[in-house]
Amino acid sequence: MNAEPLKQYLTREGATLVGIGDVTEALSGEILHLNRGIAIAVNRSLNRETVKILSRLQELADEWLRLKGYRSLIIPPDSDRRKDRLITRLYKLFCHKTAATCSGLGWVGKNGLVINRLYGSKLSWATVLTNAPFEPDEPVRESECGDCDLCVTHCPSGAIRGEHWSVTEPKKKIVAYEKCSALKEERQGLKDKPNCGFCVTVCPYSRKSNGQGKMEY
Amino acid sequence: MADDAKKKEVLEQLRNGVIQYDEDACKEGATEAIEAGLDANEAIFDGLVSGMEEVGRLFEAQEYFVPEILMCADALYAGLDILKPHCKQMDLGVKGSVVIGTVEGDVHDIGKNLVKMMFDVAGFNVYDLGRDVPLDRFVDEQLKTDSELVCLSAMMTTSMVGMPKVIEKIKEKNPNCMVMIGGAPTSRDLADKWGADGYAEDASNALKEAIKMVAFLKKLRDEKAEKK
Repeated sequence: MNAEPLKQYLTREGATLVGIGDVTEALSGEILHLNRGIAIAVNRSLNRETVKILSRLQELADEWLRLKGYRSLIIPPDSDRRKDRLITRLYKLFCHKTAATCSGLGWVGKNGLVINRLYGSKLSWATVLTNAPFEPDEPVRESECGDCDLCVTHCPSGAIRGEHWSVTEPKKKIVAYEKCSALKEERQGLKDKPNCGFCVTVCPYSRKSNGQGKMEY
Repeated sequence: MADDAKKKEVLEQLRNGVIQYDEDACKEGATEAIEAGLDANEAIFDGLVSGMEEVGRLFEAQEYFVPEILMCADALYAGLDILKPHCKQMDLGVKGSVVIGTVEGDVHDIGKNLVKMMFDVAGFNVYDLGRDVPLDRFVDEQLKTDSELVCLSAMMTTSMVGMPKVIEKIKEKNPNCMVMIGGAPTSRDLADKWGADGYAEDASNALKEAIKMVAFLKKLRDEKAEKK
């Protein structure tokens, strides 16, 4: 099944990137039947607007699939999850990075974030899982960070270990998140977002993207 | 009292809201039920629970999967939250409180949450200990709350092995307390062997068992009402 019509539709409605990944290997029993991940990315400025756009795009994709008789499950952006709902428990079974890498939209960088060749880590992600038999895009299987160690040397908490991500080692610890959050708590008294974001801004792929598209600050 | 046509419409909306996992429809239906002067218990059982019964059927027929079930449950709760404050205490002759949780080392709790939901619906006082609960807490909580029912759930064999100990301790201190166990590694045989009073294999069975239980309570209520 050709995914182009859906991709074009979502792009017209404001998505920066849309990809289809075969996510079979990353699924647990409860959602094994939903083996295509639609990765939707929006060029962001961590504000409410981005999340709103992503949520709307997910609903559009969901509706589009349903009208064609397919099942789908919306995995909302990480910052938009209601804790009081039972379905929220299922979201943890699936990670947006998986959909992003499986659909070839990027790799997991040394900074632990999805890096896209054009936009670096300046994208916000959301996923819609479905059983629609889409032809999947070519996945990214290895990191393309190469020798670059900028995020490693600039991270103020020393959380970034300089490890290369690979699809064959999903459990490898790339970032010591406890260090990142400990520093955040110490400096800003914050437990939640925002993070300091140096690892995003310092990344050459992210910097290269500054001239592209519409960046809202 | 609401007229029959209106009542039917509202109950249908609640039922369909659950089946189509439409939270907004359930909220709307619940609000309308209150405004139209419908009996809140009736709205819950003949609307929301009736919808959940159909969801159980769809799950068995493999029309629905776990994600749908959870979204249906969320829709049910959306309606229940509005209706609950208007419920009259159901006079069933049972006091109705239950301690529920997933035993130590286990974080899977979908089945537990579905069972919990049906207890909520039935008007039980539910003491939910959550996930990864140390074994002794079940015993302590039962004593503290004097609940007549304790529900233990486990998804892994390793966490299940703690169950007989808890059952023994509870029965020792309080022989009248009923214990239900559930989760993939449990079985009817083990339930019997360990002296548990009830058993549900997985989320769908737990849901079915719980629906049966609630249906039974409803029957009791109806019979009582007829006598009056």
